[in-house]
Amino acid sequence: MSGETKILIGKLLRADNRAFVAGCRTKELVAPALGALCKVRLEEGLEIYGLIGNIIINDDSLVRQLVSGISIPTEYTEDNRHNRNLPVEISVLCVGFGQGGKIFHRLPPRPPLSLDALYLCDDAELVRFTSAGRYGYFRHILRLDDQPVEEILTAHLANARQAHAQHGRADWYTGACQELIVLLRDDYEGLMNVLNALAELE
Amino acid sequence: MDTINRANPHPIGYVVGGGLEANLQVRLTVPPQEVQEGSFVVIDSGGWRFYGLVTDLQLGSTNPRFADEQSEERLPRHLAELLHGQTLFTNLAVMPVLMLERGPEPGAEEYRLWKNQHPEETQPVPVKTVPSHHSPVLLADAADIAQIFGEENNQEIFRIGYTREQGHPVCLNLEKFVKRSSGIFGTTGSGKSFLARMILAGLIHADRASALIFDMHNEYGPDSTSSDTGAEVPGLKGKFGAKIRLAGLGARTSFGKLNADLSLEIAQSDITSEDVLLLSQALNLNETAPIVLSALERDFGQDWLHEFLSMETGTTVEDENGKSVPAPNSVEAWAAVGNVHPKSALALHQRLQRLGKTAYLIADPATRGLEQIIEDLEHGKHVILSFGKSNTELDYLLVTNLITRKIRDHWGNSTENFHAGKGKEPRPLVVVVEEAHKLLNREMASQTIFSTIAREMRKYYVTLLIIDQRPSQIYDEVMSQLGTRISGSLGDEDDINAVLSGLPGRGALRGLLSKLQAKEEALLLGWGVPMPIPIRSRRYDNDFWKELLGAQESPKTIEEGNKVLGFDSNDTD
Repeated sequence: MSGETKILIGKLLRADNRAFVAGCRTKELVAPALGALCKVRLEEGLEIYGLIGNIIINDDSLVRQLVSGISIPTEYTEDNRHNRNLPVEISVLCVGFGQGGKIFHRLPPRPPLSLDALYLCDDAELVRFTSAGRYGYFRHILRLDDQPVEEILTAHLANARQAHAQHGRADWYTGACQELIVLLRDDYEGLMNVLNALAELE
Repeated sequence: MDTINRANPHPIGYVVGGGLEANLQVRLTVPPQEVQEGSFVVIDSGGWRFYGLVTDLQLGSTNPRFADEQSEERLPRHLAELLHGQTLFTNLAVMPVLMLERGPEPGAEEYRLWKNQHPEETQPVPVKTVPSHHSPVLLADAADIAQIFGEENNQEIFRIGYTREQGHPVCLNLEKFVKRSSGIFGTTGSGKSFLARMILAGLIHADRASALIFDMHNEYGPDSTSSDTGAEVPGLKGKFGAKIRLAGLGARTSFGKLNADLSLEIAQSDITSEDVLLLSQALNLNETAPIVLSALERDFGQDWLHEFLSMETGTTVEDENGKSVPAPNSVEAWAAVGNVHPKSALALHQRLQRLGKTAYLIADPATRGLEQIIEDLEHGKHVILSFGKSNTELDYLLVTNLITRKIRDHWGNSTENFHAGKGKEPRPLVVVVEEAHKLLNREMASQTIFSTIAREMRKYYVTLLIIDQRPSQIYDEVMSQLGTRISGSLGDEDDINAVLSGLPGRGALRGLLSKLQAKEEALLLGWGVPMPIPIRSRRYDNDFWKELLGAQESPKTIEEGNKVLGFDSNDTD
């Protein structure tokens, strides 16, 4: 499915059914962004969709030494960007999967495997994934308790809104806001956090 | 159900809770301003249609903080609107009143089977169950209202007004209305007397019962002028002509330009001691009066009043021994013989002088007005009795009670004859009483004939139509017997409670009644209407008469009628 999506952003480091982490070289960290929809294609036509929930840049002893030095020569910084052996970690939250041409907003039957390729989805695919069902994948995001839910949601909604404005349903964004309000109406703090973040999109 | 065939198929909300005791709770899905307290709504659920009345609107929120925060100031407009749509809401309290079985979806096989089992048209019945959760709620359309209140036929199904929001016609079944005693209430200026005029016009036009109207303020028969607008208000006589008989109390009662059809003079012999005791308060009788009265009746029979009033007081003659004694024709002389305390007799004599001075109470009336009235009423005519100048409380109490008692006795005899197979069925009669609290207050109710009539309901084919502004002053036993109650705006809490006495759902209706507009709005309730409903009353104007009488409209006034016939009405005096 959607074999056109070609922007490779990383390779799988570790995974479980709910989330997985991919790694990439520091200098490749251009395309991925918080809230972006990406996917891993497994054999047998199974595609696992996820939203980027966090991007982590780890340190090592060399970086610590450099940082604690008085000044860092430019070539050291360049070297660190190009030749560093430690990958940037991209945490991806599983939000659904595709199988047999259909999109499901459930957790995938099994996680992707190490070294599987992680691709960034284009607008058409973003529209296709978000149009399926009735915003069911929101529950995977709202379930998070150790990550900034409203930020991930806002980043995702900003992307999806733009994609829908060009290729999809004009009322998608309104429906999404409405769904969030319905899901969060018993959680005043949580809902107001989300709405305040969404207000910045205006 | 056939919601798609409705004039307005859009639901205004859906059922979220409640029950029969506590009202149904309906989540409103339209702005609250589109629905008002008193709105008539229908709820379709499982082959039944429920009919109810909105008795309250309540603002709610899923969390009070959503209501407290003015989030529209913090959030972009569309987000704020979406948020308010989900977290802030209005709930309607709907009092379910009636339900109607409608069976499965028309056209389906199940419907055909159901229709075979229920070939007759189903009728609305008092509500015994509740609609399911999430059943759609719609504002009633004209067809729903006609289903419940009947479709106007310019006869006994009489259009009395319109629903307040959508203006759908609401009808009153006059045949049912006169089957039990009824009441029209409202403060001064609430349009009570216009409403009464209109209903009387409808009753007379439908001709299902004869009406005897005690017109204390001379406003029903002749044309008059509205105290508010100064516009001319057509009277019943001008519109119905010969169907109406104008009776004047005493020989010289004036009806403005109209002449009385008959004068009502009452023979003194018609007055009983009970009639006088009824006036104890008005005549300021003292405690010994009943003893003196019973002695008078014992000695003189039915002529007691005439005899007593002809007696002199304080006159003396000398007896054989030259001693001054009461003259033979004096009260004192009668008291001495009759073994009555002279002072008590004198006191009563003095107080009864007021009766002797009335213009209508005479020893030997030239006309038999009372018999004439009874005859007219029996023959399907309607009588408006004007009190003319004799319009004190005393006159009103005495005359209304006396006449009604005579009529009730007459109808009682006719009914008994009819049941014995000796005569035709008596014509139903409605006695219209204004200022009814004077006759039906707690002290008087047990003594006047009116409370008896109210209690008897239709046993003797006589019912009351009470028109009053202080229903709380009317004895509760009488109030609770009233079948149909039509109430305009009432200010006093006691009056509101009195109108609702003996009715189910009082709590919910109290709010409705207390918030009626001061003018032109009324609440219909009680036995005579299928369910309570607030209405904007029909206007009593020329259009009303055109619609009621149509092409057969009689000449507007007697004067015009006479002109048509070539008479000059000024010559008829």
